[in-house]
Amino acid sequence: MPPPSDATLALLFSSLEEGDATAGSALFAALYSELHRIATRELARNGWGVSLGATSLLHEAYFDLSKRAGTSFPDRNRFMGYAARVMRGLIVDYARNRQAVKRGGQFELTALSTDALNVAAAVESDELVRISQAIDDLSDMEPVLAEVVDLKYFCGFSFEEIAAMKGLSDRTVRRYWVKARAYLHASLRATLPSL
Amino acid sequence: MPNDRRASWQSASPYLDTALDLPPAERAVWLAGIRAHTPELADQIAHWLAECEALEAGDFLEGAAALEPARSALAGLQLGAYRLTEPIGHGGMGSVWLAERTDGRYEGRVAVKLLSAALVGRAGEERFAREGRILAKLAHPQIAHLVDAGVSPIGQPYLVLEYVEGQTIVAHCDAARLGLTERVRLFLDVLAPVAHAHANLVVHRDLKPSNVMVTPSGQVKLLDFGIARLLEPEAGPQTLPPLTRDGDALLTLAYAAPEQVSRGNVTAATDTYALGVLLYVLLTGQHPAGEAGESPATLIKALVETEPRRASEAVDDARSRRRLRGDLDTIVAKALKKDPAERYASVSALAEDLRRHLRHEPISARPDTVAYRTATFMRRHPWPVAAAIVSVAMLSVGLFVTDRQRRISERRFQQLRQLSGQAFALDARLNYVPGTTQAREVLVAASLQYLEGLSAAAQSDSDLAYEVADGYLSMARIQGVPTGPTLGHFDQAEASLLKAHTLIEMLLAARPRDLRALMLSVDIRHDRMIVADSVHRVADAIVHATGAAARIEQVVNDDRATLEQRQFVIARYTNVALANVNLRRYNEAVRLARRQADLARSIGVGPSDLSGSLSVLANALRLQGDLDGALEAIRESRAYADQTSNTDAGLMMQRYGPLLREGFILGEDRSVSLERPIEAIVPLREAFELVEGGARRDPGDYTSRSRVGTVGRELGDILRWSDPRAALAIYDVALGRLGEIENNVRARRDSALILAGSAYALRRLDRVAEAKQRIEKALAMLTDTKDYPVQTMAFDDAAFSVLLARADQLADEGHPAPAIAAYRTLLTQVSQTKSDFDHDLRDANSLSLLYEGLARLCRGSGDAGEAGALDAKRLALWRHWDRTLPNNPFVQRRLASLQP
Repeated sequence: MPPPSDATLALLFSSLEEGDATAGSALFAALYSELHRIATRELARNGWGVSLGATSLLHEAYFDLSKRAGTSFPDRNRFMGYAARVMRGLIVDYARNRQAVKRGGQFELTALSTDALNVAAAVESDELVRISQAIDDLSDMEPVLAEVVDLKYFCGFSFEEIAAMKGLSDRTVRRYWVKARAYLHASLRATLPSL
Repeated sequence: MPNDRRASWQSASPYLDTALDLPPAERAVWLAGIRAHTPELADQIAHWLAECEALEAGDFLEGAAALEPARSALAGLQLGAYRLTEPIGHGGMGSVWLAERTDGRYEGRVAVKLLSAALVGRAGEERFAREGRILAKLAHPQIAHLVDAGVSPIGQPYLVLEYVEGQTIVAHCDAARLGLTERVRLFLDVLAPVAHAHANLVVHRDLKPSNVMVTPSGQVKLLDFGIARLLEPEAGPQTLPPLTRDGDALLTLAYAAPEQVSRGNVTAATDTYALGVLLYVLLTGQHPAGEAGESPATLIKALVETEPRRASEAVDDARSRRRLRGDLDTIVAKALKKDPAERYASVSALAEDLRRHLRHEPISARPDTVAYRTATFMRRHPWPVAAAIVSVAMLSVGLFVTDRQRRISERRFQQLRQLSGQAFALDARLNYVPGTTQAREVLVAASLQYLEGLSAAAQSDSDLAYEVADGYLSMARIQGVPTGPTLGHFDQAEASLLKAHTLIEMLLAARPRDLRALMLSVDIRHDRMIVADSVHRVADAIVHATGAAARIEQVVNDDRATLEQRQFVIARYTNVALANVNLRRYNEAVRLARRQADLARSIGVGPSDLSGSLSVLANALRLQGDLDGALEAIRESRAYADQTSNTDAGLMMQRYGPLLREGFILGEDRSVSLERPIEAIVPLREAFELVEGGARRDPGDYTSRSRVGTVGRELGDILRWSDPRAALAIYDVALGRLGEIENNVRARRDSALILAGSAYALRRLDRVAEAKQRIEKALAMLTDTKDYPVQTMAFDDAAFSVLLARADQLADEGHPAPAIAAYRTLLTQVSQTKSDFDHDLRDANSLSLLYEGLARLCRGSGDAGEAGALDAKRLALWRHWDRTLPNNPFVQRRLASLQP
């Protein structure tokens, strides 16, 4: 897909906010291709062996897009809300791609764990796919919980940042996280006995 | 199933919000309320709540995802004479590749270990270099040897190692279906290279199946000395120096010895333990910790607390069990002793016992009797890690029942006292253990839950109130009172302190002269003051500082207080005075420091404490602008320090502080001082000799090394103007000592400051190019420590001094325009911080120096107008200070230098 024109993106945002539900999937596709393009560019620029944090990628994307699209573009917080779900899709696809095309695949996913004991913990792509499905399942019932997971785990934002973005208290975001994690863990355990 | 889960979730979800907002201790009662009406719903809620609580201790979805180029992108990369062909391993340090030689000289396959790009430029490089050095030292046919080393085109270091084809020892044993005797024989082959390494004073520290390979020809090869460590022959067993988090975290917990987790001495016995685990796994197919080995938290607990099951008890079939029972059980148990001293004295001794066993001769190790096992368990109490967690867990059980039973509360006090003591001791041990943060969080949460349960009863029971308040105080210090290492939760620490405060103040309202409560109140207010100061809640910090001082006075003036109690509370004045310094309340700081010194003199404290009090006073006086008073106080402080024993090296160090401070007061370069630099050299030189002597005597004395850096920098800064050659010599000694401190941000910051300071001396010796190099190196160091680049900075930030040195370098090289620009940037940046030119004499002086330097540059490049404007600003600044501190000699000297 060619890069979406800047006017298109801005238009999609405003249509979606005005209640045009069909704009959702178009926006997803447009943002996806944009994030993919920037990831490819950044990874090429940084050289091999350098990982690219989702957070910096998103900021980069926002910077790029808002600069080009001008004033009609949503503010950073609203943008991140849309982009978080897209980011998850991108990450899962990269991981899947790595699994499928052993040599041709360009990127792979590692978990940058904050726990020093798990520095080397890598997330397998099929596990990631299951996590993603469970998040979709959760999103069906409680979209805000799913969004917190997308922002935290897939986009790398801190609780404080998420709270500020969503206009929630820090405590509430943490509680959402605890709840979401419990649901996802139970879902994953159900799909994979050994977990 | 999924539909059941969704339905269960949807009914429980709204209630979970309420439950999770309750303190953990209250959830059971709340849930019981729901259960009374809707038991099914309560079950659902309990189920999900348990799920939430269980996940707290794990690492499910912790961390964040990132994109990185596939390792396969490295395939084909040429590194020196080798071309990477395929990845064969991946760990925290980086990746390992199979590579082939391509320079045509000979055919050969090697393994290339690449440092992860994320670790380049940090401690990772040093660790990598260490692995190279260690491997170069070890030549043994069963140790994969070092072939070559280098740096990739983008700066990633790599090691070229012998490529070992084969399987891990465990996979090999299983594939070859080896029997127990054959396994023991093969294991003996593992011991030979380990013994060789030990003979060369190298401890592997990460022995585990994946590092022990068996080649197709059946030879055992040892791999991966990535975290190996050299033992110092003269020092004997050594305590681990402060290792980097990312460094030691790399060790494999499943094979780590207890002392590796609790930061005891790492010796050859550490490898013996890992070999014991390996032997256990080879003989039984299981980990000695059993199922506890499955998560880091339970494994740490098992590691330090639980005696492993005997090997014979871990196998199912009767034949193996018979074969293991007796000698092999005993040998494995001896290798796995918690106390390193009780393990085999050497790997060879372990090998010898295994050989005796194979020859059916009596072995040297003695089996443990049940009584012996119990005895060692009790003796091991110095490992309180898991013990405390367990006792906390036991205490929490049945809380709601026992609370109302006054009869057994006596016993509970005992437990509570023990609990806070243990939690504290435990925390000190866990603090530097990587990855135990969660364990500590769990510990604190469990303790708080217990304290919470007792709080209500404590309000009507003074004995309980002391204990609970004391418990909260201990918890706060783990949570975040930064007088020691903490979990960094200031807000939680304040919440605990507030609970302690409320209990004790209620008690004092009823009994205003309760001495024990007064003592606790001193500590609670003291700690709250420090927390408030740490989070820059100025008003609160002042309230607590004032409150703490009032309580100290109450105790001191109470004739029932013992000498020890008085000495204890007087010592608290030090931090109260320092907090006032931080709050820029210098008059109050001086008043309190003076009061402390007076009290110390009148009630009689040791000369070392008195010396400390006077030193605090001198510091406060200096900041207040009373330099003569400061000099008098510091000389008195030094006289008391001299009264402490002169023989004991440790006590001699008492003199360091007063000497350094005297030097500062007399002539600290570019700061508020008496401006008598020549006199300052005398005490500074003495301090320098003192700490340099300490560093020379003891290679593990990092405090002295760091102090050589501090005093060396000051001495060099003074000398560089009059005797640049001598200054350079001092700077270089200081740099050398700081360089001996591994992986310490402060040491690197200090090194950067010294590099920048020494640039001035080098330029005076016409070594301009070297000067420039040093400044660039200093900036690179600050980039590493994340001190540069920054948006704003304060005068005492390392980046400020280094950037100033760079501006001066530019000016000296004849580039006035960029130098002026650099000065202007610095001016803007310091103005945006909390610098307070009107209330802080040091800040005012630093600003004045900046104006002065900039004016000189402007004048030099012909801009007399701008120079005049800067001089006017300077004059206005000091006129302001002349009103604040009338007739102050320091201010007067500034004004005099400005008058035409």
